Amino acid sequence: MEFFQPQNLTEAVERSGLDTCFLAGGTDLVLQLREGKAKPQVLVDLSRVTELKYLTAAGGCLEIGSMLTFAELGGSELARAKANALWLACQSMGSPQIRNQATLGGNLANCSPAADGLPPLLALGALVRLVSRRGEETVPLAELLSRRPLLEVGTLIRGFRIPDQGWKSGFAKLGRRRALAIARLSVALAVEREGNQAKRVRVALGAVGERPFLSEALAEMLQGREMNEAWLEDAAAAAQQVVASALGSRASAPYKRVAVSGVMREAWASLAGGEGTACG
Amino acid sequence: MVELELTVNGKACMLKIEPGERLIDVLRQRLGLTGTKEGCGEGECGACTVIMDGRTINSCVVLAIQAHGRDITTIEGVGNRIRPHPVQRAFVEEGAVQCGYCTPGMVLAAKALLDKNPDPSPQEIGAAMSGNLCRCTGYDKILRAVQRAAREVTGT
Repeated sequence: MEFFQPQNLTEAVERSGLDTCFLAGGTDLVLQLREGKAKPQVLVDLSRVTELKYLTAAGGCLEIGSMLTFAELGGSELARAKANALWLACQSMGSPQIRNQATLGGNLANCSPAADGLPPLLALGALVRLVSRRGEETVPLAELLSRRPLLEVGTLIRGFRIPDQGWKSGFAKLGRRRALAIARLSVALAVEREGNQAKRVRVALGAVGERPFLSEALAEMLQGREMNEAWLEDAAAAAQQVVASALGSRASAPYKRVAVSGVMREAWASLAGGEGTACG
Repeated sequence: MVELELTVNGKACMLKIEPGERLIDVLRQRLGLTGTKEGCGEGECGACTVIMDGRTINSCVVLAIQAHGRDITTIEGVGNRIRPHPVQRAFVEEGAVQCGYCTPGMVLAAKALLDKNPDPSPQEIGAAMSGNLCRCTGYDKILRAVQRAAREVTGT
């Protein structure tokens, strides 16, 4: 295996191809290399590509570079203010050591069913900026997650764009322990409020199926209604149906179907600005 | 083979390695720094923790080449029997070492915390140590040791 360390985005994209693999933080890829699941001829290390490391609020959007680590995002007041669900996910993902190394771009590229970064990005309506030799493409994450394979050969994740629409968002995950836990289930919730009305809602679920997804059914049922105790109970009950149909007869289904109600309530309670406390 | 240049415990090192070699293997096998332990080998337990540019990482899920140009501190660079670091002394005094396998990683996680935050709350200590598993002590003595080291560092 060869090693190539491009100094800028153009070099990185030009060197990519069928026999190459991009290296971000490496916390997943290093294991895959060791287990022989990834066998690239050339490893293209993105750590020196400064164009992939940015965090700004510009043009009504929060812009997040793909090489930002979970620790960097989790330590950012800007991320907390503009993307609370994502900021919360950054606090509990992996461990301090993993968060210091793992990147948000790598989280998407690896695309584990339990990837902590993806449900928040889905709920926040994130767009993904892709770049390849064919040029740049900006695609909604929800659409990208429907592609097989996720990324075409030679495509690099440049960053994420989260429209700053003033939505409130929250995130909760269920793990077998508090630290170092792979999510058994995660819920990200974003709400556009008008008074006490939930004008528009997005709900994303993680670790219930092959990839995290947005639930249209939950969004439709919850938007245009007053957010009160009944609203939250409906959300908790409807989430059970969504999980049941997504998991079918899998062994974890009976557990996750019931557990999702609690995770949904926690996600609601974590909504930025304490909105979640209105419903207890 | 690729050229790797890095600073380990204050010393500049230059060596030729395979790009796929992990940092833990280079530290243990090429540099002979066997104080860094491999536990799970998949970034779950923190036994292999080292400090890279002031931040803790798991050296079992980082390639050595990713440390190119960077500054690494292993347990050998923290202190020794004659001149232990306050964290090491506190671990001994509080009985926070039993089998000892997790201890190098624990000490480095604690040192990285105290370097940034010399007066951490119990919650901050818990959060900073949450990436290091110990199957012997039940953690109480470890947390007490970190608090004791903090008191010593701040002179309170």
